[in-house]
Amino acid sequence: MDNTQQNKRLDRSMKSILRQNLLFTILVIWAIGPLAWQLYTSFSTADALINPFNDVMNRWTLSNYKLILSSETPFWRYLWNSFVVGIASTLFCILLSIPAAYGISKLKARTSSIIKTVLFGVALFPYVLLFLALLEIARGLNIGNNLLALSIPYTALSMPLSLLLLSAAFKDLPFDLEDAAKLEGLNFFQRLRWVLLPLIGPSTASTAILVFLFSWNEFPISLTWISDPALLTLPVAISRIAGSSVYSVPYGAYAAATVLASIPLLIIVLIFQSQIISGLTKGAVKG
Amino acid sequence: MSNYSSYVIKNKSAMRRFLISFILTIFTIATLFFYKSYSLSNRYTQINILMPSPFVDSTSRLIDTYNRNNSEKIHVNVIRGPMETESVSDLAISSLLLGNSPYDIILIDVTWLAKYAEAGWLKNLDESFSETDKSELADGARLGNEYNGHLYRWPLVADIGLLYWRNDLLKKAPSNTEELVELSTKLQKSGKVKYGYVFQGKQYEGLSCVFLEILKGHGGYWLKGKTDVGLNEPESIDAANWLKSLVDSGVSPRSTTNYTESEALQAFKSGDAAFMRNWPYAWSELQKESSNVQGKVSVSTMVAAPGYRSSATLGSWGFSVLEKSTHPRESENVIRYLTSDDSLTELFIRNSYTPTTKKVLNDTILLANYPILSTLNEALKITDQRPQTALYAQISDVLQRNLSSILTGHDDVMTAMKKAKIDTEAILYSAGEL
Amino acid sequence: MIFLLLLPASLLIMTFFSYPIIRYGWLSMHASSVITGLEPVYNNGANWYRLISDQRFWIDLFQTTRFACLSVILELILAIFIALILDQRWRGRGLVRALTLLPWALPTTVMALGWRWIFNSPYGPIEQLIQILGYDQINILSDPNFAWIGTVLADVWKTTPFVTLILLAGIQTIPEDLYEAFRLEGGKPLSALMKITIPLLQPYILVCLLFRLAQAFGVFDLIQVLTGGGPSSSTESLAMYAYINAMRFLDFGYSATIMMASFIILIAAYIFSWITLSKIKDLTEA
Repeated sequence: MDNTQQNKRLDRSMKSILRQNLLFTILVIWAIGPLAWQLYTSFSTADALINPFNDVMNRWTLSNYKLILSSETPFWRYLWNSFVVGIASTLFCILLSIPAAYGISKLKARTSSIIKTVLFGVALFPYVLLFLALLEIARGLNIGNNLLALSIPYTALSMPLSLLLLSAAFKDLPFDLEDAAKLEGLNFFQRLRWVLLPLIGPSTASTAILVFLFSWNEFPISLTWISDPALLTLPVAISRIAGSSVYSVPYGAYAAATVLASIPLLIIVLIFQSQIISGLTKGAVKG
Repeated sequence: MSNYSSYVIKNKSAMRRFLISFILTIFTIATLFFYKSYSLSNRYTQINILMPSPFVDSTSRLIDTYNRNNSEKIHVNVIRGPMETESVSDLAISSLLLGNSPYDIILIDVTWLAKYAEAGWLKNLDESFSETDKSELADGARLGNEYNGHLYRWPLVADIGLLYWRNDLLKKAPSNTEELVELSTKLQKSGKVKYGYVFQGKQYEGLSCVFLEILKGHGGYWLKGKTDVGLNEPESIDAANWLKSLVDSGVSPRSTTNYTESEALQAFKSGDAAFMRNWPYAWSELQKESSNVQGKVSVSTMVAAPGYRSSATLGSWGFSVLEKSTHPRESENVIRYLTSDDSLTELFIRNSYTPTTKKVLNDTILLANYPILSTLNEALKITDQRPQTALYAQISDVLQRNLSSILTGHDDVMTAMKKAKIDTEAILYSAGEL
Repeated sequence: MIFLLLLPASLLIMTFFSYPIIRYGWLSMHASSVITGLEPVYNNGANWYRLISDQRFWIDLFQTTRFACLSVILELILAIFIALILDQRWRGRGLVRALTLLPWALPTTVMALGWRWIFNSPYGPIEQLIQILGYDQINILSDPNFAWIGTVLADVWKTTPFVTLILLAGIQTIPEDLYEAFRLEGGKPLSALMKITIPLLQPYILVCLLFRLAQAFGVFDLIQVLTGGGPSSSTESLAMYAYINAMRFLDFGYSATIMMASFIILIAAYIFSWITLSKIKDLTEA
């Protein structure tokens, strides 16, 4: 083989690696740059904030974290509230949608495709427009300021997506599997529990993660259903911090709050990355 | 053979793990369900007051003293609300709408009173404060506490629109709108100031306050009774025309259309303007070292068109007890303490809060030490209120939009004011006010 | 049997989706404000008359559409490129994919607060950089003409990962041979993008478009925290206006009318785009 040609090829591949690395870097900066800035801000003193690019004595501090962790309602309380709502809604949603999704997958092709189209349409609906009627429900039934009650609308709102994902999973199961189980004399609930559930495990996991993320992040309904400061969920608590700026705006404390709020999600995303991705892409493809 | 049994065996342990975690979660949630977030000791009665953030800081010394003196019986717990007026109201309303509000007392703005009272959220204070109590209040401070003839609020601080002017450039305050324009033009031509008059011209509540003073100063009205909208009357057109002429002629800078209180103060403080419309708080700001006009500022009441009386828009904060509060008597006691003459004096000296009682306003020692007090006293006699309707926020929004499009030149005065009237009537009608 | 399985889920969906819409339809024909003690009183369509002449509603509709269109277009363009980068095989791709996913997973309010600081004038990094470069401050969030661009930027940052993932899934279904054949015929990489990738991605792009447009149309959290709708309501969205009417003005009747109108507009937009799309399809096939 010609030497110069080989060199050229090497050169080209070097260049493409370089270019890839450059793109890679830009991508990472774009994605986590703003977060990194928050991290930096959260450890900065007020002086350092005003002069981000100049030399300042005492640049670093932990006082921002101390401030938000020692306020009347400590910050971890909001994380906990969000966690409770998230777990409860995920549980309710999965428990209710598994039988329903199974039912949909057993319907005639035509009916189930109609149902799926409707569900897709509902999933598209910007649910923020529902807040007023939901507020009326909360007021009428006197279930405001209750984290478990809050998980009921969350269950309902994440139901369409969850049904779409799970019914697709049921549809993908081998057709003769259930017949075989039926021949063995297992009744419906036994079949569901011992045969079907374990098989749709992965899809259930991705659905559950998506529902959890939705409930963890939901804002408008939590805003109208919860007014007790000790029961606020994280997104609402954050927005309330945002509104309570005194004369000089405590951006250091804000940043500390955003960092603390991001850590659980960073962990979730790193651990459940593949489930989230498969859930989202399946939702798009099958829907 | 059946192919499912292999699945069953493979997945049995997974299933068990799932079940265990499931039961654990259910258990956690059940515990939470019975979890009580408050553990109150019943030794004393706790009174919860919601205040906007700045008031929390200014009253903290008073509250501390009160709690120390009443440690056996009443404990006042102040809840720090957001800083922006609207956000505090949002917070209060969202808890009131849900039905179980955690507050006993809310410090409310004068423009919320009608809405809150109409919604039935406020306790009628007619029996708590007598006619003698009321007669001790200055004229302006007596306004804005009643709705439909009942008392729902007791004032903590009065706030009024004032005209600030440069006493190093002028001998006396302008006596009417024409003189203000004349003096401004003269000073601008001589190069002593860049601008004549700065005011709040941005599309927000401040613009409504500015306009109300000018409107009253031309003999007009905004809303009479429940449904009579006066925005399209000749007086209103004159008032709007005058404001527009300020911007058009250059007496006020073009950027006025984006000015709130702080931008206006900024321009006046740096010595760029001869006149400014602002609230009493500006006085202490202008006396600071950092001010270019320290000691060169006088205050008077707002100008009016020749032949009309001048007017000052009333903006004030006061305490209301919530209808659902279980401690009305203790709440009343707290309010009386916070609005006592001693408290008002302290708030005036420390934070230059405008006092609400005649006694403090006419205190000879205070008058001698704080010259602004006499102007405040005078302005409190000519205060006007923004319309007292539960729909105030909406109709003010309509006015702000239309005034803003007049000032920025999007619409001419006649069209915009006519639109303002029609839109206001549409709001009154659709909300059920007929 | 199947009916029984479906019952609880459908009941829940009915209660939380159908009931509100029916309720809004009904409420929009009534005055239900603080004046009426929040009790509905029939008002003969006055809400709808008011809506038609309400400047703020139409401005908000325009602002919402403007926000939705610009952010969705930017997201799609960016997402295609990022998806193409992520599609290449290199070490650490998994980690980069997880990191790019993070903005999507965070609560909107959390990062809206972050962006408020980033856009802060004069201490935020953007303004500082501008000053170092020797330009005047831009004050992006307090300028009524530009604040909405700040909201678009924050939204693009947050939702591009979502669009990227879906497009990435689409790109991975395109067989490598197609590109190979195209290259052998002498096609350039860029035209491969236009001639192979994008046409084959069409269904995926469509899904993103539908989903994102609907979400962006209902934008609320982001604006509530980033600008609060200001300055001078120049960033206010329809959802925010409805929220303000209910929670601040205590005018439930009108709030319901706004939401009903938004709902109708959204459905109309979908039907319209569906018809246009199928017409275009017919034309191209014919």
